Amino acid sequence: MNVKNVIGFWGYPHPELIKKYKEKYPNAVWVDFDIDYGYEKQDILPESYCAIIKNIINAAFHYRDELYVILAPIGKDKCDSGWFAYEILKDLGFNVEKSLFEENTYRRNVRISTSNLPLRQKIELITKDIYEPQNLDLTPCKAKFGFWGVPPNDLSLLELFPNETHVYGWSRCVEAMTPADIEFEMYVDKDVPTVFYSQSFCSKAQLAKYLADKYNGLYIDIDDVATNSTRAKIEAFLRLR
Amino acid sequence: MIVLDAGTTWSKIIESNTENRMNNFSSNLVKCENGFNYYVIPSSNLKDIDFKFDKATGHMSKSMLNSDSDYENEVIALIEGFRKKINNDGLIFDMGSRDSKWALYKNGKFKDLDWNNSCSSSTGATIEMLLKFYSINAKDLEFNKEKYIITCGIFGLEKIMDDIAKGSDAKTAISKFIHGIAFNAWNFAKKPDKIYLSGGFCENECFIKSLSTYCEVIPMGRFLLCEGLF
Repeated sequence: MNVKNVIGFWGYPHPELIKKYKEKYPNAVWVDFDIDYGYEKQDILPESYCAIIKNIINAAFHYRDELYVILAPIGKDKCDSGWFAYEILKDLGFNVEKSLFEENTYRRNVRISTSNLPLRQKIELITKDIYEPQNLDLTPCKAKFGFWGVPPNDLSLLELFPNETHVYGWSRCVEAMTPADIEFEMYVDKDVPTVFYSQSFCSKAQLAKYLADKYNGLYIDIDDVATNSTRAKIEAFLRLR
Repeated sequence: MIVLDAGTTWSKIIESNTENRMNNFSSNLVKCENGFNYYVIPSSNLKDIDFKFDKATGHMSKSMLNSDSDYENEVIALIEGFRKKINNDGLIFDMGSRDSKWALYKNGKFKDLDWNNSCSSSTGATIEMLLKFYSINAKDLEFNKEKYIITCGIFGLEKIMDDIAKGSDAKTAISKFIHGIAFNAWNFAKKPDKIYLSGGFCENECFIKSLSTYCEVIPMGRFLLCEGLF
């Protein structure tokens, strides 16, 4: 029999909810279900669907016997698909607690997004910071490029960018503790050449395409992993701009 | 110097005539110009080549090089080729067998680009398969002012077969399909007034005329990426 020791979550659960479960289960292992761990694929969602939501469902089943609870953002801080995933997992018998983190009262300055760390490390630190505060001594840098969007399913994509790449969009909102702040999500430095990324089948593609056109950036959407052509497209953009 | 643009279906090679490495491919020689020999070979034959190229582009070409540093990104090669031949602003559009890509220069600076690889079934390879399937020569296709709205190559194929089943001849149906692809290409490039066209479609009159319905078309031939490698 498996021992329960895991708290699963997606998006950015409300800080009070995180605090509550940190106190209740101080030794729990926190697992970000948004990430692709390569767990067994569940035949629950449509084949053509957001890879991040598929990751959530797959991770939930992988940890099924070890879970204390799944913290499930369902509001504007995540997306409708998060809300539906919550309902499905609840219906399937999981212990799921819904979360709404739509206020901006926790706002703070960003430091990771504008640091000189490799882009992949920036994104990984931002997501880890949700449940484990990252008090690092960071060096800011001037932006040569921008990456706008959510953490991609294929994180290796981020390794194409130079360190002088600032983070924008929802990922920056997460660092600022305002995951539902649409104005901040739409903010970019207009003179910084930016790649606007969207996960395929995600409604944020609407914003990504609009902002890419508005700021003469590069719009890309990727389903599972980036193809050679998509990588080459990003490489060309970074070299030419 | 010998350079390679390894496409999904066809590979384009330019060799200076002081080299003799392509001797076994003399039947694939398509032209000789200014001290250079130009070849087009099926990419499936690349495996028969036992030497390394000096520079190359295209995903399939990396194993044909001595060093990764001799590899060039396809969009960069396209732009370099364009800028060498056209010392002016403009939109260069490469229509391949599997994908299509374009780049825009404005005021002497790079302005925009895109690379479509997800709806690849609607490009050159599909046309080649259709022509083979219906035993039609591309030169016999005539421009048709009607077009299929092709949101996806598979849907386009369905329309061709549907029309043929209703009595249309294959040439007319394929011409409408090509017109649909040309319309998609123009839209994909954000509806420019003028397109410099690169790739095998430069040799397809039906495509050129279809695309010319929407904008001015300047064919640049199949070797532009190779020329960008020099």
